[in-house]
Amino acid sequence: MIFSEVYGSYFKAVSAILDKAVEGTLTERELTRTVLENAFGESLITIPAKLTDGSWPLLTEDFRTPLRHAPHAPLTTLEKQWLKALLLDPRVRLFAPSDEGLEDVEPLFTPDQFVYFDRYADGDDFTDPRYIEHFRMILRAMHEKRKLRVRFHGHRGTRQSYICIPYKLEYSSKDDKFRLITGFRNKPLTVNLSRIDSVHILDPWEENEYSLPREREKELVMDLYDSRNALERAMLHFSDLEKETERIDDRRYRITLHYRQGDETEILIRILSFGPVLKVIEPETMVTQIRERLERQAALLRQE
Amino acid sequence: MAYSELIKSFEKIRDYMRDFYVYGFKSREDYTKKSARSYDDERRRIESWLGGYMAFRHTSEGKNVFISVDNRSVTFNPLHNAWKAKSFTDKDIVLHFCILDYLADGNARSVNEITDGVADYLSHTETPFEIDESTVRKKLKEYAELGVLQDEKHGRLLYYRLAEDRVDLPSWEDAAAFFSEEAPFGVIGSYLLDRQEEAPEHFSYKHHYLLHTLDTQILFDTLCAMKEKRCIDIVNFSVRKDAEHEHRVYPLRFYISTQTGREYLLAYHYKFRKPMFFRLDTIRSITAGPVETRHEKYEGFASKFDENLWGVSTGGDYNVDHVELTLYVADGEGYIIDRLEREKRHGRIEAIDEHTYKFVADVYDAGEMLTWVRSFIGRVICFESDNKFAVNRFYDDVRRMRDMYRGGEEV
Repeated sequence: MIFSEVYGSYFKAVSAILDKAVEGTLTERELTRTVLENAFGESLITIPAKLTDGSWPLLTEDFRTPLRHAPHAPLTTLEKQWLKALLLDPRVRLFAPSDEGLEDVEPLFTPDQFVYFDRYADGDDFTDPRYIEHFRMILRAMHEKRKLRVRFHGHRGTRQSYICIPYKLEYSSKDDKFRLITGFRNKPLTVNLSRIDSVHILDPWEENEYSLPREREKELVMDLYDSRNALERAMLHFSDLEKETERIDDRRYRITLHYRQGDETEILIRILSFGPVLKVIEPETMVTQIRERLERQAALLRQE
Repeated sequence: MAYSELIKSFEKIRDYMRDFYVYGFKSREDYTKKSARSYDDERRRIESWLGGYMAFRHTSEGKNVFISVDNRSVTFNPLHNAWKAKSFTDKDIVLHFCILDYLADGNARSVNEITDGVADYLSHTETPFEIDESTVRKKLKEYAELGVLQDEKHGRLLYYRLAEDRVDLPSWEDAAAFFSEEAPFGVIGSYLLDRQEEAPEHFSYKHHYLLHTLDTQILFDTLCAMKEKRCIDIVNFSVRKDAEHEHRVYPLRFYISTQTGREYLLAYHYKFRKPMFFRLDTIRSITAGPVETRHEKYEGFASKFDENLWGVSTGGDYNVDHVELTLYVADGEGYIIDRLEREKRHGRIEAIDEHTYKFVADVYDAGEMLTWVRSFIGRVICFESDNKFAVNRFYDDVRRMRDMYRGGEEV
């Protein structure tokens, strides 16, 4: 059963409340804070009232509890089955989790049941021992809040070396690649993990040093004409980006997309792939690029 | 019934969340299929679950409500929250904590003992909270099925103890954080992370699609049937026909698009006698049918079938279309050849000369390749196929796009 209250935010919040009550540290204020941290926006209307009006008699009047232990529920079979399934995924080697306690369960699914049909073929090699070592060192530095010396080779083979704070490990399912998101001298820096030659963990970073330089955000406005089911296709296709959509008339929509400057070419290709149902209105630089490609295309076809 | 932010059935909320997330331009009046009260309640619930991810805009058509997420900056899928809003009774939650506490010492106890133990916990309250043995028995059975408790027979009596749990969850912390976003059934990873003090926020994602979490129950029900080699009855909603249809099929595999987030079931259709795709987000329900004795035969179809699939279209007649795409690659544009290599899925690439490369493949539906072929606009020397419809459409599209960007009206 996937949809069950045992996994729900209410059970989680009440568990955290009872944990504090068993400890003897629960107060009315603490109760409110715990609900806000663990449940939903409107849960504050329900949970404290239920715990104090006798509907859920799990707290006494002095914010203690008749329970004797901090709440604990063993993992469900479903949770274990999911973990067991992950052991079959090549990417799990990057993490080295323990398989203890999963001997007696069947995996929830197996890799051969899923086909990622449009995933690019040049993904990272998650079985490469050096790749795994680099991944784990970056992750360790993140946990320990330490800087890194990263040496890597760029697109044209140039050797580069940076001392940097690792902010995120970014994964793309389409590319099947990890990238290290970092910065250098207030500029964002993205390094493909497969291009890293060596990683060294350095000293801890200071709080005032931790500030991820943001890549410049850009905005694109385009019109969509809803033919060939274009509306639904475009809405889903661009749902990985922050967007706003406005209906102009029955068949026309105006879409505003927000994207990062470094992704401009990719966005252009994605828009071109929709054909004449999408028309970029701004920025002008994007319109010019599309126009140039179309003119180049026309010239190629004339030569044929 | 009084409003509650919790829900009994997940199916009811799927469409609303999808519309709020995917479209974002619909106003209250657009939700005509449901009552206005229903819309108000569902909107309020989703707002409560998703907090800051809900956005509003006033237009001439009214107030638009939508879910606004920059997927690249989220560490955890906010839509998972919907799975954590299952409603329950007062007895459910009280029994949950009392039973687990009573059995925390690891000893096995009878239903009678557990019922007495629970009653003792509740003796402090002046308001009577009635617990009877049959309710406790039912809950114990349910928890044994979940795997939280373990049952054992002592003579004629059934005893329960906490299930053994030797999983080293802290060792899974980072993996659970990553796979909660990148593996099927990611919401289960989210459940596991909820058990931790703090979930690690070291990962971010590009090309990250969030909506599929809403179809997890459909995926689960199908997978359960697949494990037992059962056929299934699907109730599918056809957007084109605006109607529901039933299909009896044998489920084979799931096809996932990393470029659109769409997820499909490939299944053998008994009535039409051929493999077919169904989008998971249009499937309303799955009911397991009888065990299929010829399952090996159908599973063999799936592997063979995959050899000529570009995506998930089988074309009209299940015959393959021959496709040849010839590209011009200028000096210093080796990355175009790299693109062909990594994106081609099937087929082969031939170098015609220094600047000319040809991609050749046989696919079920050349028309399905058009989105990819158009992404090479500016470099296409020739696009050929025995699927004339696809070829004509490509050249027509290029012409119309050129007109459009020269100032003409689109389409």
